[in-house]
Amino acid sequence: MSGEHEYDHHIEPWGPHDWSHGAPHNSFAPLVMSIGFGVFLYSFANVFVMGELADISAMAGVMLGFIIITMGLIIWWRQDISFDGVYEPKGVGAPFRNIDLRKVAMWIFLMSEMMVFTSLFSTYIRYRLGIQNCEDLFLSGEWVEGTTVTCFEPAAHLIASSWFHIAPGAVNTFALIVSSFTIVLALKTAKMSNKKYSKKYSIDIADVDSHRSRKVGLYLGSTLLLATLFLTLKLIEWFIGFPTPGPLTEMNHGYSEIKSLYAEGYTIHASAYTNVHYDTTSKYFHIPVDSALSQAMAAGTHPGGIMMADIRVSASTFYVTTGTHGVHVFAGMIGLSYMTLKALRGGYGPSNAVSIEYFGLYWHFVDLVWVLVFPFFYLY
Amino acid sequence: MAHYKIFGKDPYWMNFYGLMILTVIEVGAVGLDLSAFADSIGATEKQLTFGILWGIGIPKFIMIAAIFMHLYGDADSKILTMTALFPAFFIIVMIFFIGLTSPGAPTDLPAWCRPPSWL
Repeated sequence: MSGEHEYDHHIEPWGPHDWSHGAPHNSFAPLVMSIGFGVFLYSFANVFVMGELADISAMAGVMLGFIIITMGLIIWWRQDISFDGVYEPKGVGAPFRNIDLRKVAMWIFLMSEMMVFTSLFSTYIRYRLGIQNCEDLFLSGEWVEGTTVTCFEPAAHLIASSWFHIAPGAVNTFALIVSSFTIVLALKTAKMSNKKYSKKYSIDIADVDSHRSRKVGLYLGSTLLLATLFLTLKLIEWFIGFPTPGPLTEMNHGYSEIKSLYAEGYTIHASAYTNVHYDTTSKYFHIPVDSALSQAMAAGTHPGGIMMADIRVSASTFYVTTGTHGVHVFAGMIGLSYMTLKALRGGYGPSNAVSIEYFGLYWHFVDLVWVLVFPFFYLY
Repeated sequence: MAHYKIFGKDPYWMNFYGLMILTVIEVGAVGLDLSAFADSIGATEKQLTFGILWGIGIPKFIMIAAIFMHLYGDADSKILTMTALFPAFFIIVMIFFIGLTSPGAPTDLPAWCRPPSWL
């Protein structure tokens, strides 16, 4: 691959590249990763069938897919680590003339992402409006204890039931907003000219590069930390729960813990879901006297009891949508790990700060989706 | 990067403060008991909460897209905004013509997606 002509800049095909020539950066790493994703998804689809472990041997394919993806990432990162912004290809035709091609490509990628999330939101709206709400069904009295009824139980009914339940989602919202801001600060810091930087932080111009590297690394590292917090809290909310010790127990109706959604029975297999909200003998939740259920019970035409609901559709829409968003956060964490490392090695300066901007576009998009997911899946 | 100010201050900091305040209101609207206020304006608490969540969600969405994602104030903001709005047609079809207007979907769609072996 070495230099027969000036465009042959792949001195080391596995990276790092020599970026000092004016040729476009061609990398085969995304193709390797695509093959890896293909192997991973094909194998993963064969591991479980209807929630049951069907083919353990497919796990080998899953692992192989992971290994190929990781290899592709490492090659890509090795090629990019030396990128100093010398060559940034620009659009030559309308409508993107003189706009960085990487920026245009990122926006086109984000458009496809918008369509993915629109499909998920559309599904959610259709089911939520088309299937009777569990609370309404309970209060209508059109159910009998021991017989399952199908209804839509929004996760918000559990999550928005107390401040404790809202806490993980609310903290996550703030974490994502702060992380959007830290990435903007990383971009601002990386983009500042040496002269301005030296003046702003009152340091010698010779020390600017090392000072800037630490600062950009700190901002990108903080973003990574906040993303980790986001997924950790999601894990707690979905599977682990958390204790409410001491005086908090009293504020939590006497319960010493906040159960996870899984422990509450809010799962994609919940075909016989019960909840304290749907129990006529519950001492914590009172049935409105003007409801059909209350009147039927008073008239002796409804015996009361516990309503059992099939909520698989509502739980599935919740987990698929919020899970897809979580996967995007995880993908961002992988990118952030690399960028933090590169920043600490002095990899970002005014000439190539736009790389942070383009990653930032993705990260802000993840925040943008959460701005809609949080109110309509967690609060309402 | 932004070449403008909001109330004479750095737009990113102002946007950050604004987003934090709006999120506090959003969470408060759900956690606080608004039934008395809802009664006073002739709405149910759920309707009021829904209105507040939409009323806050839209400006938050615009603030992130316009300021953090530079769809406002840069030389290429206009063409990139048009690019970002391109899927609007798809979104309108999905939300309004499928999400809100396909009565058969809740019962028919799951059947289409189920494998033949489903009991």
